[in-house]
Amino acid sequence: MKQRTYELTISPNGEVEIHVDGFKGKGCLEAIKLFEQMVGETKDVRHTSGFYEPEEDVHLHSERHH
Amino acid sequence: MVASWPAISSAVAAAAVSLGFNILQDAAQEGLPLNTEAETSRKVTLDVPHSEVVTGTLGRDQRLRMSRDGVMAEFSRYARGRAAVCVTGAGYSEEQLRAIGEELGGRMVQQYMLTKLKNEMAARGMDLVEETVDETQSIRLRVRHWQN
Repeated sequence: MKQRTYELTISPNGEVEIHVDGFKGKGCLEAIKLFEQMVGETKDVRHTSGFYEPEEDVHLHSERHH
Repeated sequence: MVASWPAISSAVAAAAVSLGFNILQDAAQEGLPLNTEAETSRKVTLDVPHSEVVTGTLGRDQRLRMSRDGVMAEFSRYARGRAAVCVTGAGYSEEQLRAIGEELGGRMVQQYMLTKLKNEMAARGMDLVEETVDETQSIRLRVRHWQN
C-alpha cells in the first residue's frame, strides 16, 4: 500500500486549496477528482514537477462507509 | 451540494464564537425584529460569497442572530438559496459594519467547509493527522490516505 499525504488550506472566506503530494504523473488527477466530489468545482490547478514524471498506476478509494 | 439547517447553524455558531460573538438563540426563535433598541444604528446587509454551497433547501424564515460589543448580526436565507448577513450597530461606520459582515460570512463558509471535509474524508478512510490555524486565520489540515 502507498501512503498519500494531502495538505488542505481553508481560507477565511471559505475557499479550499489542496496540495496533493506523493504522486508521479497524472495520478494526482484522481486525487483532484476525489476532492472535487467533496468540496465542489475546481477553480484552478497548478502542477508540480511530479506531474511530468513517468506515471504510476493509481486507484483511490472513493466509496463511502456507512 | 445541499446542506441542512443544523449543519449551517452549526457553522454559523462556530464562526460567531471564533470572532467573539454570542449567539442570541431566543431572539431568533421568537422572530423579534433585528436591533429593536437603537433606531439610530446603521444597518448593512451583505450577500455571503459562496453561500449557495451551504444553504441548499433552507426555509426562508430560518435565521440566526448574534451580538458582540453593541453589534448585532443576523444570518438568513433568501431567494435562490443564497445567504445574507445583516449587521447593525450604533457608533459604527458603514465600512466597519461591512467589514464585520464580510468576516462573519467568510468564517461561516470556512467552518461549514471544515466540517464537511472532515466528514467526507473520514467516510473515505482518510486520517486527519494535523489541524492548525495560521496567522491569516486559514485552517490547515494534513491528511493521510493509504491506497492499494
